[in-house]
Amino acid sequence: MDLNDEELIRRIVKDGDQRAYGQLVRRYQSQLRFSLRQLCDGDQALADDMAQEAFIKAYKALPAFRGDARFSTWLYRIAYNLVMSHKRKNTPEVNQEAVDRAQAEESVEEAQQLGMARDLNSAMGELSDAQRQAVHLCMQRGFSHEEAASIMKLPLGTVKSHVNRARAKLQTLLQAWREEVVSG
Amino acid sequence: MDRLNQQNSRFEPLSDSALRAKDPDFDAWLSQQLQFDEPYLDDGGFCERVMAQLPPPSRRSERRATRAQYGAVVAASAIVAWQFPFDQVLTEAVQQTISLYSLVGLGVLASLVAMTGGIVAARRG
Repeated sequence: MDLNDEELIRRIVKDGDQRAYGQLVRRYQSQLRFSLRQLCDGDQALADDMAQEAFIKAYKALPAFRGDARFSTWLYRIAYNLVMSHKRKNTPEVNQEAVDRAQAEESVEEAQQLGMARDLNSAMGELSDAQRQAVHLCMQRGFSHEEAASIMKLPLGTVKSHVNRARAKLQTLLQAWREEVVSG
Repeated sequence: MDRLNQQNSRFEPLSDSALRAKDPDFDAWLSQQLQFDEPYLDDGGFCERVMAQLPPPSRRSERRATRAQYGAVVAASAIVAWQFPFDQVLTEAVQQTISLYSLVGLGVLASLVAMTGGIVAARRG
């Protein structure tokens, strides 16, 4: 039986039910790890470590979670803080070996992907870090602008501006693909 | 990629009016493409590693959980006791006991008759 986040959190806090937290981890692990890989410039090992730390930190802080925001927003906020804090301490220490290995693994898969996916990745690469993160959170993860602003610790207007500029840039870069889809 | 390069070469700084012009169809299409492009990352032991590092639940939570379990057992027992037809069972038990006593009495009587008959037969013989 799939319980919603609120019910699982209630069981964890009131009954100390760790199996309920296991369900939450399984529910969000893929999305969070994928998001952090982008934030960690492709360093998968670092992203997974950060995701792991975020889940543990979230568990410890769960009794203080008031439910004002969605659990996913709150979890992302913790994870983003961890990554940003790590980046500040270790600039610009990216595990290049891990990145190269990941890219080599990806290249096999990429060869099988449609050109659309490749071009979309390249187009996303044209955006600034903040624009890419804003688009990822709002258009890929489905967070509202307010939620994205809370996660990224940026003013709402700045996030909206990032999303709008990124959208306009992507619209121009991907116009050919879109016309092809529309024209069938 | 060629298409992207062609588009890229045509890319110019965006005007404010271009930024304001929102295209809901494009938003939906882009969201769809971004989500379609995202692989599902297999767990690969990630959840186990997280669960192994969680601090044990507090004793207070455990006590609360135990109390809740005891409460549930007591409540279930109360419902069963409330619904259970004790009077019928007692009546039936009494009846069964009487029948049992009758059976035992009949057995004892039959044994006595048989023993008496045996003794009488033995004396005659």
